[in-house]
Amino acid sequence: MRFATFALIAALPSAATAQNHQIAIDAALNSHVLPGVTQLAEASQALALAAEDCTSPALVAAYHEAFDAWVHVSHLRFGPFEADNRAFALAFWPDSRGATPRALTQLIDDRDPVIASDYASVSVAARGYYAMEFLLFDPEISSRGDAIYRCDLVRVMAADIATTTAEMERDWTQTHADLMRMAGSNDRYQSQAEAMRALFNALTTGLEFNADVRLGRPLGTFDRPRPNRAEARRSERSVQNLIVSMQGLAELADALMVGAPDADVRAGLDAVISGLERLEDPTLASVADPQGRFRVEVIQQRINELRQLILTQMGPSLGVSAGFNSLDGD
Amino acid sequence: MKRTILTTTALATLLAAPATAQDAADVLATYADIAAAGYEDSLITAEALEDAVAELVAAPSAEALTAARAAWLAARVPYQQTEVYRFGNAIVDDWEGRVNAWPLDEGLIDYVDGGYGGPSDENEFAALNVIANVSFTLSGTEIDASMITPALLEETLHEADGIEANVATGYHAIEFLLWGQDLNGHAPGAGNRPWTDFAQGEDCTGGNCDRRAEYLVAATELLVSDLEWMAAQWVEGGDARAAVVADPDAGISAMLTGMGSLSYGEVAGERMRLGVMLNDPEEEHSCFADNTHNDHYLDGLGVQNVYLGEYVRADGTVVSGPSLSDLVAAIDPALDMEMRSRLSETMRELGQIVLAAEAGFAYDQMLERGNEAGEALIMGGVNGFIAQTQTIERIVAALDLGEIAFEGSDSLDNPSAVFE
Repeated sequence: MRFATFALIAALPSAATAQNHQIAIDAALNSHVLPGVTQLAEASQALALAAEDCTSPALVAAYHEAFDAWVHVSHLRFGPFEADNRAFALAFWPDSRGATPRALTQLIDDRDPVIASDYASVSVAARGYYAMEFLLFDPEISSRGDAIYRCDLVRVMAADIATTTAEMERDWTQTHADLMRMAGSNDRYQSQAEAMRALFNALTTGLEFNADVRLGRPLGTFDRPRPNRAEARRSERSVQNLIVSMQGLAELADALMVGAPDADVRAGLDAVISGLERLEDPTLASVADPQGRFRVEVIQQRINELRQLILTQMGPSLGVSAGFNSLDGD
Repeated sequence: MKRTILTTTALATLLAAPATAQDAADVLATYADIAAAGYEDSLITAEALEDAVAELVAAPSAEALTAARAAWLAARVPYQQTEVYRFGNAIVDDWEGRVNAWPLDEGLIDYVDGGYGGPSDENEFAALNVIANVSFTLSGTEIDASMITPALLEETLHEADGIEANVATGYHAIEFLLWGQDLNGHAPGAGNRPWTDFAQGEDCTGGNCDRRAEYLVAATELLVSDLEWMAAQWVEGGDARAAVVADPDAGISAMLTGMGSLSYGEVAGERMRLGVMLNDPEEEHSCFADNTHNDHYLDGLGVQNVYLGEYVRADGTVVSGPSLSDLVAAIDPALDMEMRSRLSETMRELGQIVLAAEAGFAYDQMLERGNEAGEALIMGGVNGFIAQTQTIERIVAALDLGEIAFEGSDSLDNPSAVFE
């Protein structure tokens, strides 16, 4: 019985914390999540339109815009992004076993009629921005097989991306944003702290992904650097993706600490972004030489330190801690 | 009103704190007991596998190969239930790659079908075939592989060239040697290695049968010694047990970290969702033996075991004691009920996958493009794991364990120094 009393009291958050959480959740939704998913849906719709003519130079420009819009919010891997495996359908990477080129080669070689019916049923390795990169930029795949089939494939792939992102936007604007705003009165978010945790977790996981995967994979080890593992190197977007991702994460961090800005965190975000902007190595190819490698390692270390800072300083001051994430496996 | 609450808080804290600390110690003792029993069962069943392999190698026959396969399948039952100890216990996580590494580029080990492909951008040793090659060059060094020994597998071949897919040891390497590649694609049926791959003299198929036997014996011997080591870490006086009981808060955190990380990132993510999204039968956890449905089920059961503080041993005896469930129920009965029901829901979903597979709807078929029933079965399990992870997070918050310990760094001691 005494335990029950204790629990009841411990569960009552202070009025101040509750109010701060509400402000932070609203700010994150209004200044980051909702404009971000709207931009994602619009840029992807524009990509689908541009892909109607697959030889148009406008297609490449539209592709870059849409990819930027995705990376800007790609860390929000819960709720509408997780439902129906949508985030994976947009972005299957890293691809350590070469599933994307294999799946595309097979579709092209077989002239698989699936593109005329239900493209959403194909392997995620052949869907989304990373698969489209191979079709537009990979010397082998972009010239393989029948040009008309390849063109149809680009068009169908872009339409599939537009459909998926429109569903994400719809779910966010019509239901999920309200679930978060009204956390505490629904079962998905049983308290405001849970909604805060989902957003905070997206922030720390995004940083972890940038350090361990976007930078860690090409860095490999000193004796065995792996420049070919750099993300989106064919479209020369490896560093661009890092910059756009960090800008999106900064937008989210600023929103979460709107009530109590943390100067250390802000300085850390700026330092990482300006470090990336100074790299002048779009594909991270320099990881293979000791000098260039050092510069990349410094940025990786800064991201890790920033994440620690957010976990140990910003989190406690907001009254929130990180939960589990998809990088917890091996 | 406010005054009353404050008084009650102080009182409740005073009364609750000592009782909870003792409860946590008892819960951790059960947790360690289940680990000790699980790894001991894994060891016992691996020794039975070692005996079956010895018989296969001494007198190769279809029956002896079937017996060895049955022993491998039995050995997986206790082992998979221990996977919940991986994340959260550094001593297990550091060791796990030796026994259960996956996925693997099996061409490293033995012959493969022509459709397998050769060396890849990611792995230039993907088709090394050490069984057929008595020497090869690794990072500029000539390797003498004339004798296939546990040391060669463990120290040289495993994760060769820093590539995780170069899996030379553990359950899945042994699985490949016992079953061979599953060449049925999305059709039912497991790998179908002929027993004559182990026959000596003229009957030998696949070439180098003596070296294949040598490999199988060495890999099984290593598995047994690795499990022996881990079982010893969890008995009274073992390091893994000492680590979890040393600090009750950290120990309970380790339990919950293991439950959540296995549920979400590993099984729901890497092993289940990825396979169905890629429509790739190679993404099965036990793709040679077609035992994946059981792998997932037993992983889920391991999580439930830890929460309920109960494990049914390979011989049918039960290890049980004060549980995490008791601890949660004492502070929030509704949360305990939520966790119990989510675990049960996950087990029901995973059970449906097992039953469908046992009834003839193979896991490979479930992964096929456009197979909606298969996708729905697998995603049912995935969604169960995701939902239970949300509740695990609620428990972490309710138990107020504080932030899980982070490694010390400059940023902890002096945040502003980092960006100078």
